[in-house]
Amino acid sequence: MCEKVEVKEEKTRFDGVKVEVLGPTYEPGKPAGQEEGSWRRKLHDREEMLKYLKTGERYWYSGDWYGSERRKNPA
Amino acid sequence: MAENTDRSVCPATVQLLGKAQQEGVSTAFFRADQVKPCPIGADGSCCRNCAMGPCRVLLPRGKSDLEVEVTGVCGATTDTISARNFLRMIAAGAAAHSDHGRAVAETLIAAAKGEAPGYSVKDEYKLMKLALDFGIEVGDRPIEDIAVDVGRAALAQFSQQEGELAFIKKAPLKRQEIWHKLGVVPRGIDREVVEALHRTHMGVDQDAESLLMHGMRVALADGWGGSMIGTELQDVLFGTPQPILGQVNPGVLKPDHVNVIVHGHEPLLSEMMVMAAEDPEMLALARAKGAQGINVAGICCTANEILMRHGIPIAGNFLQQELAIVTGVVDAMVVDVQCIMQSLPKVAQCYHTRIITTSNRAHIPGATHIEFHEHDALNAARAIVRAAIEAFPHRTGRVEVPAHQVDFVAGFSHETIDYLLGGMFRASYRPLNDNIINGRIRGVAGVVGCNNPRVEHDAVHVAMVKELIKNDVLVLQTGCSAIACAKAGLLTPEAAGQHAGGGLAEVCETVGLPPVIHMGSCVDNSRILMAATAMVKEGGLGDDISDLPAAGAAPEWMSEKAISIGQYFVASGVFTVFGVTWPTTGSEKFTRMLFEGLEEKVKARWAYEPDPIKAARCMIEHIDARRKALGIDKARERVLYDMAMRRELEAL
Ligand code: SF4
Ligand code: SF4
Repeated sequence: MCEKVEVKEEKTRFDGVKVEVLGPTYEPGKPAGQEEGSWRRKLHDREEMLKYLKTGERYWYSGDWYGSERRKNPA
Repeated sequence: MAENTDRSVCPATVQLLGKAQQEGVSTAFFRADQVKPCPIGADGSCCRNCAMGPCRVLLPRGKSDLEVEVTGVCGATTDTISARNFLRMIAAGAAAHSDHGRAVAETLIAAAKGEAPGYSVKDEYKLMKLALDFGIEVGDRPIEDIAVDVGRAALAQFSQQEGELAFIKKAPLKRQEIWHKLGVVPRGIDREVVEALHRTHMGVDQDAESLLMHGMRVALADGWGGSMIGTELQDVLFGTPQPILGQVNPGVLKPDHVNVIVHGHEPLLSEMMVMAAEDPEMLALARAKGAQGINVAGICCTANEILMRHGIPIAGNFLQQELAIVTGVVDAMVVDVQCIMQSLPKVAQCYHTRIITTSNRAHIPGATHIEFHEHDALNAARAIVRAAIEAFPHRTGRVEVPAHQVDFVAGFSHETIDYLLGGMFRASYRPLNDNIINGRIRGVAGVVGCNNPRVEHDAVHVAMVKELIKNDVLVLQTGCSAIACAKAGLLTPEAAGQHAGGGLAEVCETVGLPPVIHMGSCVDNSRILMAATAMVKEGGLGDDISDLPAAGAAPEWMSEKAISIGQYFVASGVFTVFGVTWPTTGSEKFTRMLFEGLEEKVKARWAYEPDPIKAARCMIEHIDARRKALGIDKARERVLYDMAMRRELEAL
């Protein structure tokens, strides 16, 4: 069962309108150390790196993904 | 004579200026009062390219070169002379960045061959990326072999005589077309710089437009060549930056520690300094001399480099280099190349500080030279740390470390932004583009560059950046500008809530980014080029960098490197505003070419506006014009229709 969340906060929306939003309900935590934020650790071997290059940096390293520049003849 | 409170918005700087004054120490701030800029040189009207001159081509008071023609002895007109001087500045800036890039390529090769102990490939992913860029086979080959090939391919870019630089291919296709059409694609880095010096020699290229076109080619050889090589190969050697917490201001110096400051630009040595300072033997030596430990801090771009990779604190930006010594606790200041004031040994004489030069390209009278070579780098670093430890017991004079110290987050490489916005599953600039399209983020601005004592230190950077983020413009930064804003507390995620407009703040809160993003040192402006390209390729914001709601600025610039950077921003399609002074005002014709004529050629132009708020307004106006052209000038919230609304629609 969900507990009722009481904390509410007033915020200004991007267009200037005041809105009421749910306030923070998390336990304040502490960063778990520099290494935790190191996303490169998720790439374990060369194959994974090359695979990630083809998705993460697909516009440069993937043969079939040109994003907004999809065209038959490259410049 | 200005009050110290008018010289800087940084309280630590003001405090140390007072100390310097009391102790009779000369600094750039005070020298700027005594040495006035030469009015003829300042507006670019002085040519000293041959011994028939120097010719000072002064126009009659109140006249412009559009009405009258004055020439040098050889007949060179004001616009030719202005264009020549401008091209020479670009060439010098590009040479500085590129020589830095070359040193990194040489170190990578030496490291991969096992000839540079202490260095190794730290980022295999980045190496793979470069191997693909240079068309080098990867397969199962040993990492060292690939690194040697990548290093050699990078090195070959400097001496290449024909063809095109490899990284040009990374730019948006439309931009490449523009460069091809104009014939400004750089062939080889050194070649373009040499040709710039040739063209500007007496009696060679005497057409301002032709000189400017070559200036574009040289600048592109910097941004998409030398600088990009520097950035990318440093990432391979030292790791691609990821967000990291740092501290800034002279308050990071520790009175009870041996303090070593690394200053300059190349992180090759400073990386080793970090290792040497952690060496147990060195720590024991420091303790034996009565110190609690060894504290390494940085100034200028070296600071940015080691901060982004090791979290080493920053003692200050360009104009704080002398003041760091004035604290009385700097035992050694180690310098390599670029932005190092010749006054340092003189300032150091008033204290116990050792000034140590380390590059064979940069010697300073009065400094100790401990030359650094990559094959023996750790030993050189140890010798430097030892010199600092020896100096520690000889501290003289009053110690005063301003208590100011500010936390901030740095280390946003293009790759990390890509990852932060899209995660591992689909790294992407999509959320950024979407938020620009929906109007929460109005646009993006790159605010970069130096400090200049001709304006109030840091004030112009901070005022401009605050104005931009207040108006929902996300700011990307490098160099001393990033350090200035870090000191002002703008580089933390919390700054979004305090200083940014509602839309930008909302996005920053969602993705946990600061509203001002520190992307590195001056050579790392190439990261901004890649971020802009990624935004184009992601789609929805036009098909060229010039279509993006984006602008660039260097509001406190002083270095020739800044002119080169500005020119490659413009040549890449970014509207770019400079402050402080403008080096071509002596020729209205040439200045018009830069401020208006370029638009037709590269769809971007230069502008000059010393007032930071007005400059920010110009940038915002440009951003708004681009939004309008893209048809995204009205904020559109996505509306989820319910049944009633649908019925209403159908009834229409
Ligand atoms: S090149 Fe021409 S303008 Fe320049 S110093 Fe010589 S004579 Fe004078
Ligand atoms: S921003 Fe300018 S002053 Fe600062 S380190 Fe770079 S070139 Fe030097």
